[in-house]
Amino acid sequence: MNWGTPMDKHSLDDAALDDLFATARAQAPQPSFDLMDRVLSDALSVQELAAADTAEPQVKSEPFWRAALAGLGGWPAMAGLATACVGGVWIGINPPDLVSESATVFFALETDSYLVDAMPGFSAEFDLVEG
Amino acid sequence: MALDTMSDVSDEALLVLFANGDQAAARALNLRMTPRVFAQAMRMLGNRAEAEDVAQEAMMRLWKIASQWRQGEAKVTTWLYRVVANLCTDRLRRKPSLAIDAIPEPEDGQASAAEGLQDQARNSALYQALATLPERQRQAVILRHIEGLGNPEIAEIMDISTEAVESLTARGKRALAKALAGRRDELGYSDG
Repeated sequence: MNWGTPMDKHSLDDAALDDLFATARAQAPQPSFDLMDRVLSDALSVQELAAADTAEPQVKSEPFWRAALAGLGGWPAMAGLATACVGGVWIGINPPDLVSESATVFFALETDSYLVDAMPGFSAEFDLVEG
Repeated sequence: MALDTMSDVSDEALLVLFANGDQAAARALNLRMTPRVFAQAMRMLGNRAEAEDVAQEAMMRLWKIASQWRQGEAKVTTWLYRVVANLCTDRLRRKPSLAIDAIPEPEDGQASAAEGLQDQARNSALYQALATLPERQRQAVILRHIEGLGNPEIAEIMDISTEAVESLTARGKRALAKALAGRRDELGYSDG
């Protein structure tokens, strides 16, 4: 092969360069067994992690009562609510005097009856017609 | 080294199998891709330890992206070439004077001792000359003339136009030819 003319001393010709490339292509640097092992080990670890992620149990949906409790403000709010409830029942069963008097005033238990004739003249006219 | 027992399965299909937890696919992809990725890194960096780090990192990115891989968008090899190119660029910019410590050795039984020595000397000279090129020129020349890729694929890997690839490879070849001119006799290219 002609590897370049004597006139072309300042650079290698294309044929020689292509030959160098072909040599480099044919002799690819080979990875070590250690690198191959490390890469395979990485691959299997990634697979194991992915499998562990999908195998994790699903989070159970909350029961209704737990959601309702959370909506009311949790156990501390429930304690307050229960106390108020018991207090209400006790006052209903055994009302203190103050409560009774207040209730009497408020609901006006001593009722007065009033008769209001909305059409006072109507009765007279009716009587006349009937005559 | 073990043989790729899934040689009739495409790279993309292997990646899907890998994402589904198939260990044989992991082995096949490792055998198919790691040597290629390592060779590209080694040719770019000229340093075995650095090239091994880059190869392992690039393959780790492949394992991690496998479950989100979108079929038909890119070839696995093109994607890997791009990852390796970027990782090498990062390293070269961080450490521009990486030592060239390992030149590819001739494979056993392929050539006589004398031919093997000459091939080794030629490879050594080529990689030394490549190391003197600007990083982008080196990248383009290696992908075009040693990895044997087409200009459109190199354009995709380097994220430039095909015209820019042609320009880079032409300038790179001219620079290599000049850098190696003084070693013509030593490399056995002096015969008329």
